[in-house]
Amino acid sequence: MTSLPPGLLMIIVAAVLPFVPHMARQIVMLAAIALSAYGLVLGAGTHLVWDVLGFELVLYRADALSFPFAVIFHIAAALNVIYSWHDKHWSQHCAALSYAGAAIAALHAGDLITLFIWWEATAVTSVFLILAAGTLTARRAAMRYLIFQVLSGVLLLAGAAFYAANTGSIAFTKMTLGDTASWLIFIAFGIKAAFPLLNGWLQDAYPEATVTGTVALSAFTTKLAIYALARGFAGTEYLIWIGAAMTALPVFFAVIENDLRRVLAFSLNNQLGFMVVAVGIGSELALNGAVAHAFVHIIYKALLFMSMGAVLHQVGTIKASELGGLYRNMPFTMICCVIGAMSISAFPLFSGFVAKSLTMTALGDTGIMWAYFVLLFASAGVLEHSGIKIPYFAFFAHDRGFKTTEAPINMRVAMGIAAFLCIAIGVYPAPLYAILPFAVDYHPYDASHVTGQMQLLIFAMLAFVVLIRMRLYPPEIPSVVLNSDWFYRRLAPRIGLPVLRAVMLVWGSLLCQLRGFVEAFWLAIDRVMRSPVAGPTIPGPAALVQLLLLLVVLALGYVAAGV
Amino acid sequence: MTEKPTQKTADMQKMGRIFTKALLAIAVILAILEVFLHRHGVAAIEDSFMFPAIFGFFAFVFIVQVGKWLRRMIMRPEDYYEEGASDD
Repeated sequence: MTSLPPGLLMIIVAAVLPFVPHMARQIVMLAAIALSAYGLVLGAGTHLVWDVLGFELVLYRADALSFPFAVIFHIAAALNVIYSWHDKHWSQHCAALSYAGAAIAALHAGDLITLFIWWEATAVTSVFLILAAGTLTARRAAMRYLIFQVLSGVLLLAGAAFYAANTGSIAFTKMTLGDTASWLIFIAFGIKAAFPLLNGWLQDAYPEATVTGTVALSAFTTKLAIYALARGFAGTEYLIWIGAAMTALPVFFAVIENDLRRVLAFSLNNQLGFMVVAVGIGSELALNGAVAHAFVHIIYKALLFMSMGAVLHQVGTIKASELGGLYRNMPFTMICCVIGAMSISAFPLFSGFVAKSLTMTALGDTGIMWAYFVLLFASAGVLEHSGIKIPYFAFFAHDRGFKTTEAPINMRVAMGIAAFLCIAIGVYPAPLYAILPFAVDYHPYDASHVTGQMQLLIFAMLAFVVLIRMRLYPPEIPSVVLNSDWFYRRLAPRIGLPVLRAVMLVWGSLLCQLRGFVEAFWLAIDRVMRSPVAGPTIPGPAALVQLLLLLVVLALGYVAAGV
Repeated sequence: MTEKPTQKTADMQKMGRIFTKALLAIAVILAILEVFLHRHGVAAIEDSFMFPAIFGFFAFVFIVQVGKWLRRMIMRPEDYYEEGASDD
């Protein structure tokens, strides 16, 4: 039983969920998650291997790197079950549980083929969480999402094939970026990790999913990619560049985005940047930073998405231009949202602080100062969009006269647990540090670090107050903000369609010319047949054509002989 | 912005004032601490007086200003991508 790969049990249970009544279904799901988590007691080692066609498929390999991810994935799956408890229909529960299961199983894949299978499984299961929103916009976003996710899987498979051909092995271990195989795998990971220009799917699709679906989506796919990068490409210097760009660029988009769940999607992208930089550094401290950041990030990002989901669930909109003044209607949601906001902004005593400082210290140790200051700058950016914008425009800003109440109790329970974890980890990080891949001798709470971070945050908040008071802060405007998905949603059709039309036009006219030529040919034959010069000596048009063809062959023959 | 001055709006303005005062109070405490505490950072420049505060303040203003400028380039009406509906 325990030698089943963790997560697989969740997928099996997901298959029977449609046949279980509502209340029992929720309990069955929690039990499946608990049992799957119990499977982790086997500890480090290779626990399940299949020999297929001469290749070793390692279905269950656990080590110090996979363990913290497995723990937080189980926690996220359980939180999601509680948060979506009110949903009586089976479809989304089924999708969410199998999605979480696939992601957990992927963590324990010891070879590239097994990884590919679960990699694609996360794509196929998660897309239903977007489709379930039921709108045309969501359906289109879901299809674009699926195309990108499957593309990532196909690249991974291609990379694995090259890798197997080169090395004779499919084991998923540390790689060096250089040959075709490693680049293909790197880009496959990069799509799911939302690298710059490959990130369009994230901000496009996540905010279109259902209230509960977005919470599930925010946890797994991207962090699975971070795990894969940490295992395969730790210490790859490109990742520092890529990650730094990821931290800084989404910040500007998030300032002007009107859909608050899309603001969080930009923020998610920015957070992934911190982890990617940490993986790029590759030192023990940095990898600890990446893992710790992923761990706490899953909780506070889920918390923020849950609070915005609660607002959407109660009010029916999540646009900043339509929201405001909800602090009195939904005080509990507001407090949870603020806790999530303070955690992601890395206030001391909140979870973001104890994780992010690992990465920042590791980055400082490398001496790559430009990246250090980019990340410091991005920290102010995180405060701007996730720390201030989200709670401010949802719960304060303007009184829109909403007459609503708190979200269902199950949503509040899930938010409460997540908020508690955010503070608990921030106040007492030792248990988190204990499960990191490498031994930790790090104390985030030294006076200089705390005051430095407080200065950054408090004065950035003062900047916000000044801008608001001077009416210099950009107002909320109903709008869409163009992102890298514009290239394939707008530019490609705009350029592609005229080019296609031009090609078809040329092709059509060529066909027309050809038809005209054939007609003219037969017409000429006809004219010769009827002309009095020919007389009755020519037997028919067929003979004439043959004669002409023979002449052509003869001419060609002479030409060939002459050469 | 056609906002009626409701009770809630007044409350929010009051909360805003309290929040601002609290922020200023913490800012003053941090500035005082800066004098007594030897704060050190990763880079040499970080050790200069109130560096994170100045960096944070101007980074924030910069982000918002660039955002405003970016709006002119990449902000579109809400129905921009609504395929099929008056697309061309």
